[in-house]
Amino acid sequence: MASFDLDGRRIAIADGDTVASAAYRAGVRTFTRSLKSHRRRGLYCLTGDCANCLVTVDGRPGERACMTPVRDRMHVRRETGWPSAEHDALAVTDRLHWAMPVGFYYKVFVRPRWAWEVAEKVIRRATGVGRLPLAGPPPGVKPTRFVRTDVVVIGGGVAGLAAAAQAASDGAAVLLADEGTPGWSVPPGPTRDAIARQLGEATAAGVRIETGTAAIGIYEGPTVPLVGPHELLEVEAGRVIVAAGAVEAHGVFPGNDLPGVWLGRGAARLAGVHGVNPGERAVVIDASAEAGALARTLRDAGVDVTETQGHVVSANGRGRLTGVTVDTPEGRRTYRCDALVLSLGLSPRDSLLRMAADDPVSGAGDVIWPGCTLLEAEQTGRAAGRGELVQPREPDPWPALGAGGYVCPCEDVGIDDLEAAWAEGWTSSEIVKRYTTTTMGPCQGALCGRHLARFTAGRGAAPVATGRTTARPPVRAPRLADLIGGVHEVIERRTALHERHLEAGARMDRSGSWMRPGTYGDVADEIRAVHQRVSVMDVSTLGTFLIAGRDARVLLDATFSLDVADVAPGRARYLLALDEGGYVMDDGLLAALGDGRYFVTSTSGGSDHMEAWLRDRADRLGLHVHLVNQTAQMGAVNVAGPHARDLLAALSDDDLSRTAIPYPGHAQITVAGVPCRAVAVGFVGELAFELHHPRSRSVELWDALLDAGRAWGIRPHGLDALDVLRLEKGHIYLGQDTLPDDHPTKLGLDWAVSMTKPSFVGKPALERIASLPFERRLVGLRFDGTPRRGAPLTVAGAIVGRVTSCAVSEAAGGPIGLGWIRGVDGEFPSSLRSGGLTATVAPTPFYDPRGVRLRA
Amino acid sequence: MSLLIPCPTCGDRPFTEFTFGGELRPLEASEVHADFERVYLRDNVAGVQPERWFHASGCRRWTTVHRDTTTNRVED
Repeated sequence: MASFDLDGRRIAIADGDTVASAAYRAGVRTFTRSLKSHRRRGLYCLTGDCANCLVTVDGRPGERACMTPVRDRMHVRRETGWPSAEHDALAVTDRLHWAMPVGFYYKVFVRPRWAWEVAEKVIRRATGVGRLPLAGPPPGVKPTRFVRTDVVVIGGGVAGLAAAAQAASDGAAVLLADEGTPGWSVPPGPTRDAIARQLGEATAAGVRIETGTAAIGIYEGPTVPLVGPHELLEVEAGRVIVAAGAVEAHGVFPGNDLPGVWLGRGAARLAGVHGVNPGERAVVIDASAEAGALARTLRDAGVDVTETQGHVVSANGRGRLTGVTVDTPEGRRTYRCDALVLSLGLSPRDSLLRMAADDPVSGAGDVIWPGCTLLEAEQTGRAAGRGELVQPREPDPWPALGAGGYVCPCEDVGIDDLEAAWAEGWTSSEIVKRYTTTTMGPCQGALCGRHLARFTAGRGAAPVATGRTTARPPVRAPRLADLIGGVHEVIERRTALHERHLEAGARMDRSGSWMRPGTYGDVADEIRAVHQRVSVMDVSTLGTFLIAGRDARVLLDATFSLDVADVAPGRARYLLALDEGGYVMDDGLLAALGDGRYFVTSTSGGSDHMEAWLRDRADRLGLHVHLVNQTAQMGAVNVAGPHARDLLAALSDDDLSRTAIPYPGHAQITVAGVPCRAVAVGFVGELAFELHHPRSRSVELWDALLDAGRAWGIRPHGLDALDVLRLEKGHIYLGQDTLPDDHPTKLGLDWAVSMTKPSFVGKPALERIASLPFERRLVGLRFDGTPRRGAPLTVAGAIVGRVTSCAVSEAAGGPIGLGWIRGVDGEFPSSLRSGGLTATVAPTPFYDPRGVRLRA
Repeated sequence: MSLLIPCPTCGDRPFTEFTFGGELRPLEASEVHADFERVYLRDNVAGVQPERWFHASGCRRWTTVHRDTTTNRVED
């Protein structure tokens, strides 16, 4: 037989049970201990509104037992009380009420200051709330689904279903969200029949129904976030119909929080739907139109029911209800009973309506006409479905506050607390709310909001100060995991050679969103392979673009600082991308393919921006340009080293001489059967060819290169080796060696800027900057010891710069680096100190300054 | 927050699919002071302003949208 585990006890499950009904059938009466006073709290509303039944379900704290269908082998923990909810040593705090006055947080532990730090730890542990699961795997993050629909209906009662059916049969796309399933909490009777009828009609009309799904707010748009069991739905709707119904009025009188005191619909649901009687002898307080029906449901279930009118003076009992004293029309009467069932009228669940003032949102049913008949519910639903706005009806007068009891059971705020706050001068509902935390608990004012407004009105506060407090999302408590739905997705991009790098034992580093090999184990030999033998590097992460169309050259010329006309087909050029401020944004390569087509590369991290930027300019300039971002479809391998050409010759029949592939230039060749655009460039200072090829062929190309390269002692290199190799050539890393306000002059890149061109992005700024004093520049440095990256550079003890890159290089004959320096007395120093070392400004490149090797 | 951006190719799509490109500004200015203002100053109007949006998670097309910054309503 199906069963679940409650605090280590096995409890049987009946058909249609919730956690609450199954536990109650098994005799559980105390579901929680209250936040501050640790008073016993039992089932009360059974409509998902109050906080009395929050339990931890399968590790998820704060689940409403009454709204959670119970499943076989579920693990449920009562989460409050120490050592347990049944036997709570902290219940002693109920007798220390005098020590915790209203505004407790503002009044105690102010001095000495350290007292609060100590007290806070104790208080946090003592509060009656669940514990977050800090150990174990993090809870799964739900995906977010974006949904657009004509109409979204919140609530699957008679009014909501009628509204949805009407809108759908009028041709609208309709989505209806219900916290449970339509009708699941309603005992057999005319209401349940009406729901079934409307449900059939709505389904036939094509309404999409999301069950177990709560709306947590209405945002501008209107947008309605819906938290479902498996996903977060972000619904953009043409209009919203709120048919959330009403919550029964909360009764405030001494003893009103005793287990055994019920809201009427809750007691009726337990008896009529779940077949569990709330008690043997029930007193029903009849102050609403539906009290008779509720009493009948209980009587039919075999409960000994006494119906009475009047005001409850007190609920009697310690820890559980034993009787009730009522001021009836016939005088004060005391009844013995184990269930007190309150039917005191309805309060609309109108938070969603109240937070959506400027949006196309309408209400239907109890939420605008609390206590309406079934026919009225259907009629207002139909009207809302047709897009009509039905004027709300004044709710019944709110039941008077009694002589004591809890106004806000979530936060343990009593009438005496409100009175104390009032006496201290907090005389508006918004301020009393903040001071006492009334309405700020899990129920978000469902039970206490109107009591608070009534309290301030009754005290004669100014009309502006007696309103309901502002309704804000969330109206139902989502979990943090719901709020980050779809957000927490770490993008990790891999090249086609990822598995090959792992097989070769590479340490993979995160480089922006890409995973790239840092080293294959021996950085020094990786460097030697490039300088003396031959090596390969996976450079598939480079941004690559094909730019074509009638105006391709116009776009590139109007954008970049180089003279595109100077780049003949077959040739390539270093490319600097400046922003409008004249600052270096990205760099790469431009290769002219002929026929007015160009191949452009950007840095690995810069490709998305480069694409957006070029597209924006083409669009704004009205140019006819086709731009294809090939970053994801192209792989690239850099073959570098004195034997690079030998290696390619072993795998290719194409002409690889400088006539065919000039420096800097490119040609289309076939390597090991793979078509490649071979680009001769010089980032690492040796003879090198970047082989751009279809990503699907990366693995076979890589394998062929490594296999044939064994004849020359090939070894792939990673980012660590590259960092040294490019530094030997004085090449900068954007972002590491640069600052956001670096114009080309500061970086020594004037040669890449053609100021004679009529215009390019950043040209006016460079002209303006040229007249400003030149204060800071990036220089090459040689050290007389091993430098440290980031170390300050000083002159006569004053810091004038810092080291941005450094390495000890065999090929360059010692420690080298790049660094920023500022002018001292109008001149840039040539000798500086860094830590205990001397740093001497040196020309770059440090290695093969005339580029003989890479032109080979 | 809700905001639908009319994309010329994809129709009305949620703004989360787009990259915001800022106020629509001239591409160049005639002289150095005007260019400085063009680059560094924004009108930041409370009301309808033309602005650029890039459909990054869609067709990757730019569009100019007139949006009321106080209501997020987009004009046709």
